[in-house]
Amino acid sequence: MVLASLRDVRFTYAYADRSALDGVTLELASGGLHGVVGLNASGKSTLCALLRGIIPHFHTGQLTGEVEVLGRPLLEWEPADLSRAVGCVFDNPFTQISGIRDTVFEEIALGLENLGTPRDEMIERIERVVEQIGLQAIVAKNPNDLSGGQRQKVAFASIIAMDADVMIIDEPTSQLDPEASEAVFQIIADLKARGKSIVLVEHKTDLLATYADTITVLSEGRVALTGPTRDVLSDPRILEFGVRPPDVTELAWRLADAGKPLGSTPITSAEAQAAVRQRLEKRAS
Amino acid sequence: MSTRPPLTTAGDYRRPVTLGNPILDLNPITMLLSITFVAVVAVAVDGWVAPVVVAAVFVLLAFLAGKGRTYLVLILKLWLVVGLLLFVLRALLIKGETVWIPLGPIAVTEEGVLDGLRFSTVVMAICGAVTLFFTLVPMRRFTLALERLGVSPRASYVVLASFQAITDLGTTARAVMDAQKARGIETEGNLLVRAKAFFPVLAPVFLSAMSATEERAIALDARAFNAHGPRTSLVLLPPTAAGERVVVVLCALLAAAAITGGVLGWF
Amino acid sequence: MIELRDVRFTYPDGSTAVAGVDLSIASGERVAIVGQNGAGKTTTVKLMNALLTPTAGEVLIDGVSTAGRTTAQVARSVGYVFQNPDDQLFSADVRSEIAFLPRYLKWPDDMITERVEQAAALAGITDHLDTNPKDLPSAVRKFVAIAAVLVSGCSHVILDEPTAGLDTRGLDLLTGILDSLERDGVTVVTITHDMRFVTDAFTRVVAMAQGRIVADGELADVFGDDDVLAQARLKRPDPAQLARDLRLGDRVVTIDDVVAAIP
Repeated sequence: MVLASLRDVRFTYAYADRSALDGVTLELASGGLHGVVGLNASGKSTLCALLRGIIPHFHTGQLTGEVEVLGRPLLEWEPADLSRAVGCVFDNPFTQISGIRDTVFEEIALGLENLGTPRDEMIERIERVVEQIGLQAIVAKNPNDLSGGQRQKVAFASIIAMDADVMIIDEPTSQLDPEASEAVFQIIADLKARGKSIVLVEHKTDLLATYADTITVLSEGRVALTGPTRDVLSDPRILEFGVRPPDVTELAWRLADAGKPLGSTPITSAEAQAAVRQRLEKRAS
Repeated sequence: MSTRPPLTTAGDYRRPVTLGNPILDLNPITMLLSITFVAVVAVAVDGWVAPVVVAAVFVLLAFLAGKGRTYLVLILKLWLVVGLLLFVLRALLIKGETVWIPLGPIAVTEEGVLDGLRFSTVVMAICGAVTLFFTLVPMRRFTLALERLGVSPRASYVVLASFQAITDLGTTARAVMDAQKARGIETEGNLLVRAKAFFPVLAPVFLSAMSATEERAIALDARAFNAHGPRTSLVLLPPTAAGERVVVVLCALLAAAAITGGVLGWF
Repeated sequence: MIELRDVRFTYPDGSTAVAGVDLSIASGERVAIVGQNGAGKTTTVKLMNALLTPTAGEVLIDGVSTAGRTTAQVARSVGYVFQNPDDQLFSADVRSEIAFLPRYLKWPDDMITERVEQAAALAGITDHLDTNPKDLPSAVRKFVAIAAVLVSGCSHVILDEPTAGLDTRGLDLLTGILDSLERDGVTVVTITHDMRFVTDAFTRVVAMAQGRIVADGELADVFGDDDVLAQARLKRPDPAQLARDLRLGDRVVTIDDVVAAIP
């Protein structure tokens, strides 16, 4: 099944003079972790908003082209059904906390309450998510007293608890330290392992290299590159589009520039180790 | 405003969430109605004795609920600042015949004093009622009780988010003053210095409270806030005891008696 | 010069955020402070501009203790860019925002105009001078906040996590700003989680954990030491880890180091 399919989609926000999406054609398969990268104004968040139905229901503007989510045209989806089917995590931790619940536990419950989940099931799901994300220490705190990083984790937990099949996640680690970022990626990978389809907008290509199935590079509202993670991240063209390659990939390119090429272009540290070892052994022999 | 014992295990949610005190656990609607009816007595009965008695009753209730000290501090501040001011103003400005302190046009008369006493005590009783309600009832429980009666969750959101925004204003103001300090703008010193630092940012403080409303609306939508269909609630309020209805009815009768008595001139 | 002498800071609720820190930063030096969230990094830098007063110990800016001085007084020499730019942006347009402090200090008008434009150019926001900061994307707002701090020309600048949410262009711009500040002899203290940025742009790193400094030195001193990394709960950057695994040398940390070290 196809998660989402876009054909020549153009979108301009009301009152904007330039289009945010300028002819996007893209197909994302179900059950995969799809990374979306690019410069800050390249259209990544707009794409997320579109897939989630925020465009056109919340953000008005001019939308042309065909958009299908989970096999159905976007405009045929009932907004309420779409919010059930597609979970969404944004990058601003301060606006994702509702502000109307007294404890983190209740905050996570909010979405489940709105979906009419029975209390016992609610409690079970929340306990599981708290365990998964490691929120035990703050489960009784007031969400309004939390730091940005903590709020981000709570917002994440709240959406995961709602257990939608599709998740659109927009820069969830911008406020987090490296350890917490890795933990978040592992949670996302675990979601994928359980069959969810995920679209993840991120700058951290090192982590995407390990966990993502496909990468789509957006530039100025268009798809510049798309395909399996390996193919895209090892393509030197990503530099033109403002994408920072994984450290080891950049290392490989610079080695090549210095006249010391590796046999293959690594995107993860394990691959890099193998490739460099190979070169060292070849030189030794 | 919430002072319940910390909930650290999920088990706490499987049972009704108690605030640890039988009065605090009363249904918020019961509280609202009872306090209102008792306050009505203060207004309906003539003179200044009834309002003082009512105010005392409120203080007693606060102590029984375990919030005596908090309430008393608030209420004493109110009495001393507002109550006293109202009394003095009425005493000086209301004209009468029996002059106690001759001060020309603002002579203190017996009628003025009695009027002042009556007016200030009634206002204090009403303020006492409102303060008592907000001291004893966490807003969250109140909106929960309302939702159980059929009030829309959107209305609860507006109420709770507004209260939260007021709390946030304090935090935002502090963050803003920190930023001003960090810029090299003096905030410590006499009133003028502080004012010069604070006033330019007053508008932005308020604006930021209302900022990102669209983002918040979208975030709420992501939590299925706009979904149709029945909602459930994680928090269970303690069941409304039969006795509570009796209490409300008694208070209502008391209020009715007071009004009737006031009209018929029993007092 | 920024000096912290056995500085401690405990919050009113009793939690200790800084548990004895000794730090000495020479004027014009560029230092990165790394460590987990909650390690005390922000508290430590807030002690440098007297936003917080130490519960014990002394903070000296250019040889003068901050004790008894107000934040605003110290802030004239130590600029601070907050983690959340929205905490420090209040004006209706970028130009007024940057000009706020100069106007408060009653600089002559032509000086204000000149310096505002300079600061905006440095921060790459000249195109947005007449825009309302609220209408700008959050990454751009960061640079507005930076410009507003740099305009006064303070001799020391603290940046609290300027790299969060920046794309490669933003990182390049930030690096350009740091280079320019270095040329002007401005001390720069930066808190960041971006290890690549640290290895690209800094030679001195301070690693913190649980309110203490666990390492203070060159890149290799921090990223080459297993104990330090374990204490600060940091992961060694991939190139450095590669160098370790392949025994390319103890002081090999950056990509360039590795390229040079591989035969």
